[in-house]
Parts: sequence; structure tokens; C-alpha cells
Amino acid sequence: MDDHVIGVLSNIGVVSFVALSAYLLLLTGEISFGQQAFFAIGAYGAGVATALWGWPLAAALAWGAAIGGAVAMLVGMPTLRLHGLYFAVATLAFAEMVRILFELFRYQVSIDGELVGPNGGEGFRNIRYVFDHNIDAFQFLLLIYLLLAAALLGFVLLERSRLGVIFRMIGEDETLAGLQGISVVRHRVLAAGIAGSLAGIGGGLYAHLTTYVEPRIFDVMLGVHSLAYGLIGGLGTALGPLLGVVIDIGLLESIRALAGYRMIIFGGFVALLLIVRPRGLLDETTVHRLGRGWRQIFPWPRRPNLNRRGNNA
Amino acid sequence: MRSATYALTVAVLTLWRPENGCAQVRAKADISCRPAVEKLQYDCIINLANSRSGEPLSGLTLTVGADMPSMPTAHNVRPVKATEDEDKGTYRARITLEMHGDWALRLDLSGTVRDRVIKVLRFGSDRVDEAPLARTPARHRH
Repeated sequence: MDDHVIGVLSNIGVVSFVALSAYLLLLTGEISFGQQAFFAIGAYGAGVATALWGWPLAAALAWGAAIGGAVAMLVGMPTLRLHGLYFAVATLAFAEMVRILFELFRYQVSIDGELVGPNGGEGFRNIRYVFDHNIDAFQFLLLIYLLLAAALLGFVLLERSRLGVIFRMIGEDETLAGLQGISVVRHRVLAAGIAGSLAGIGGGLYAHLTTYVEPRIFDVMLGVHSLAYGLIGGLGTALGPLLGVVIDIGLLESIRALAGYRMIIFGGFVALLLIVRPRGLLDETTVHRLGRGWRQIFPWPRRPNLNRRGNNA
Repeated sequence: MRSATYALTVAVLTLWRPENGCAQVRAKADISCRPAVEKLQYDCIINLANSRSGEPLSGLTLTVGADMPSMPTAHNVRPVKATEDEDKGTYRARITLEMHGDWALRLDLSGTVRDRVIKVLRFGSDRVDEAPLARTPARHRH
């Protein structure tokens, strides 16, 4: 496979994590402009773990996810009591705070006579795990998509679980959910933690994919995009934000005539979709219709409807 | 679910090869670029050397790509292959960017040495400089 194609596919896979992260919060009815902060924390955390501490990649990615999730829960506790615009502004402010902190963050260690580690605004170079361990671009692509598939499987299980129903219920009407005895803040903090972990894994993969991170990468542009992917692709399924990423990075990237004007087209596309299809291309109704059509083509053997005694009802 | 967990574990263990660590030759690069005749085209001269011994690295396949740090994954320039000069370790490449501003040049080395070197430069209409620190972002001009 062409190196450029592998690069584009890798970008799609990595950005999908932060898109899924924003999507999970959208499910609970909150708009976050700050998921790039957890992406950054995961990237720096995992990068430090492999480049400075000599950890294996799997442990480093888990570490990035853990600190991304933990920080998201800590931030979520006070901010998730806010609503709508106030929450959105709070997440944006937090993300900018994290970005500026990374501009001040210096932690360098001499490895083989070379200083390695985060160096403030100059960024963090030489996250060389994939080169030191002879992992080629295609192998790393497989790892990205394997982890993405695991994340999607987690979403499928979540959607079918009681927790998924609670998340959607809170997103639809939090007052009603509260009246049903559901702790709205606690469940939102849990969703924020899972979302932070997802963004953290994405960040860890990104740092090892590019071998280089710097605070500018994690500015508001990434946060707005991660939110827009869910709004374009649709909120009916976890495949929605992935569709948004594919449209932006895959489709627009491949049309080189649009080079340099991609952001303008992307912004216009988001604005148009918000008017025509406010819950995205794969909204709940479309997903339901597609599911019904699928079941008609491939009828799943239904279990007999049994009563309590085990007889056919 | 269990089979997915097994598959994930196998893949991670396959990729985790700590015994290979720290055996690789590391490259360092000096890059100087200047505007070419066409708008947004730049000619770059790249000097590659072994970061430990300082010996020039020649006979490698070098591709030069570019990303905008302020817009990660958004402006991804297709990598071009550099040609080697008669001088050992000196390579030339012509890159075409999408706009002026700060770009992270991605030098991918393959062959006897496999490595990646990143250099952040500020590409203007008439000159190319080292990019200053992140707190002074360049204005992107289409």
C-alpha cells in the first residue's frame, strides 16, 4: 500500500478516537469543545512513558488512557453541573489551559547523549518507539484499527446495555432521567471518564505515529473538528463520527484540487448539515430504518416468546 | 468478546519487541529551503548525518512530507522523494505546500537506516526561517 494512503488511513483512525470521545458526551447531551485536552494528555503521557521511561507501547497507551480518563473525571465533577453553553465554554477554557501548561512543561532526560522529552513550546520530539522496535507503518496502521475496532465493539455493547440507555435518557431529558432515580451528574462524570480515556488512547497513538507533538497541535481547531465529526456523521450510532472523519480527512484529503480551501468547504458542509439534518447523516431515524432493512434482508432467527413456565406464549 | 480480547492481546504482544530497542542508528538533519519559481513551491537541501558519529548518511531513500502543526491531519502534503547529490549525505527535494505558515517537515529515511526526523520551519512568500516557539503562531495566508 502507498505510504501516503497508509498515512491518511492512520490519521483517520487516530482522529476517530477523539471523534468518538466527543460523540459519547454528545449522547449524554453535553457539547464539549475540550476533548483535545485529553488527546494531548494521552499523547504526552504515552510519549513520556515509551521515550523516557522505556515502557512497552501497550503499557504506555494504557497509561495515556488512564490519565486521560482520570483527568476528565476530575474536570467533569465541577463542570458537568453546568449546562449547555456554560459547559461548552468551561471545556474550551480547560483545553486552552492544558495547551498553555504544555507550553510551559519541560521534562527532558539525556538518552544516548541526546536530550529527549517535552521541551515547552518546542514540543516533544523523538518519540521513536516504532522506529526503535522496527514496527513499520502498515503494522502500526493495523494496531490503530484493531484498537478502534475494540472501541467500536465497546460502543455496540454500551448501546445495548442499561448504561447506554441511561446515557441516552440523560441526553434526551435529564430532568426526566433524574425523576427515574438516575444520578445524572454521576453518570455524566462516568461518560466523561470513558470519553477522556478514548481521547487519551488516540493521543498516545498519534504521538507514536508522528513521533512528534507540540502544544499547537492541541488547539481549539482539533476540538471543534472532533465535535463536528459527530454532528456530520450522525448521533444515531458510533459509526456516525467515524463517517464524519472519513468525509473530512478521507474524501476531502483525496481531492487535491481543494487543497488549502478544505477548511472553508468543511465549515460550510457542517453549517448546511446542521440546517438540513441537525442530528447528522446517520441520525436515529436513519439508523432504525437501516436496521429494519437489514433485518428484512437477513432475518435473524428469533427466540420463541416464552412465558414464565417456559411454554410458548 | 473473548476472541476479540485474545486478538487484541496477540496483536499488542506481536508489536511489543523490547529487545530490539536502542540498537538503531539515529539520524540528524540540517535543512535549508528557499522559494522556487512557482508559488508555494520550495527547494530544500537536506544534510543527513548519524546523530552519534556525525558521519554523513548516504545511499538512503528519503521522502519529505509536511504537516501543519496548528491543523493536525488537516493539511497533509503528499511526500516527495528526495534525490541524493554527489556530496555524501546531501539530498534535494522540491515540495509544494498548500499555504504559507509553519510546517513540520517530516523526513522519512529508509534503506540501511530507518528513521524519521521532524523539522518545523516557517514558510513565507519570499523566505523560509526556523519556526519560533508555539506562542507566536504564524498567520495562515491562502
